[in-house]
Amino acid sequence: MSRLMRTSEIEKRPVVTMGGEDIAQIKDIVFAASGGEVGGFTLAGRGLFSGGKKEGLPWNSVVALGSDAVMVVDEDALQPKQEVIDSSAASGGSGGNVLGSQVLTDTGTDLGKVVDVIIEIGARCDVVGYEIEASEALANKGQKVLIPLPDTLAASSEHLMVPDAAKEFVSDDLAGFGASVDAFRSRLKGSD
Amino acid sequence: MLFSEADGQKVVSNATAGTVGKVHGLVVDPASRQVVALELKKTDGGDTLAWEDIAAFGADAVTVADAEAIGEPSEAVAELTGKDHRLVGKRALSDGGDELGKVKDVVFDPENGAITGLVVEKEELAGERLIGVGSYAVVVKAE
Repeated sequence: MSRLMRTSEIEKRPVVTMGGEDIAQIKDIVFAASGGEVGGFTLAGRGLFSGGKKEGLPWNSVVALGSDAVMVVDEDALQPKQEVIDSSAASGGSGGNVLGSQVLTDTGTDLGKVVDVIIEIGARCDVVGYEIEASEALANKGQKVLIPLPDTLAASSEHLMVPDAAKEFVSDDLAGFGASVDAFRSRLKGSD
Repeated sequence: MLFSEADGQKVVSNATAGTVGKVHGLVVDPASRQVVALELKKTDGGDTLAWEDIAAFGADAVTVADAEAIGEPSEAVAELTGKDHRLVGKRALSDGGDELGKVKDVVFDPENGAITGLVVEKEELAGERLIGVGSYAVVVKAE
């Protein structure tokens, strides 16, 4: 079963081995495929005074991402941080931070600013939507709403471009959002 | 039998009929899902009784051939001893990364030491779901 999550919820989550040891905690998400996928994570040490770690965690070493921990087989799951960042960048990863970026439709309407990223956890870790603070183009201006993303998207440091149809598939909470994403993506495929 | 029932049981020598120690903890090997030794207190020397040196694990007492059975832990047992390797009181985490609650007790077979169940909050999980025990959590297979 796949599962939707906000990336802000993942930060600080412990990385735990199958042997029950917490070896790190999540610091930041490394995006890949132009921001359409999660390529891995940068890490911090556990404990109050430990800072960033030299190792990162590539997504393909993650056994499971649950609501309380990120599970890995053992310490060998960790790789040099730069390798995780570089391999994500090689797939066209922006690696960059999308928070605060303006979401524009391909017809030039501003839908709002990104406040969180919604991922779907399966074999890959797909970015399926953004939580945005809605602009006046949407009915619930000022509120936080979820907007689905196409499989691939164009992103620069200022703007994220989405098809105009995305605004018809806005939802208020994660519960119904999976269905919205599916409906939106099959609509896009149908119109090809 | 529950770990909580085994804890505190007296260890009696079959040779002298005297009490030679008291059970103070059970050492578990998560890889084989077995109790591999007992930690003892109130002994004359040594604090470890390897599972294979137990004569019988009864309802009221653990018997040994004689006090010689009690000694220092082997290297393998020493590696599995200590609070990082204890199950009871620790959080149970599924291999899917979800917390299930605290491990309240452990069920084992007094005949052979096999771990047959984990009591997590009010639920008993099958012992075969145990994957690993570390300083942070007891990891169990998700359902």
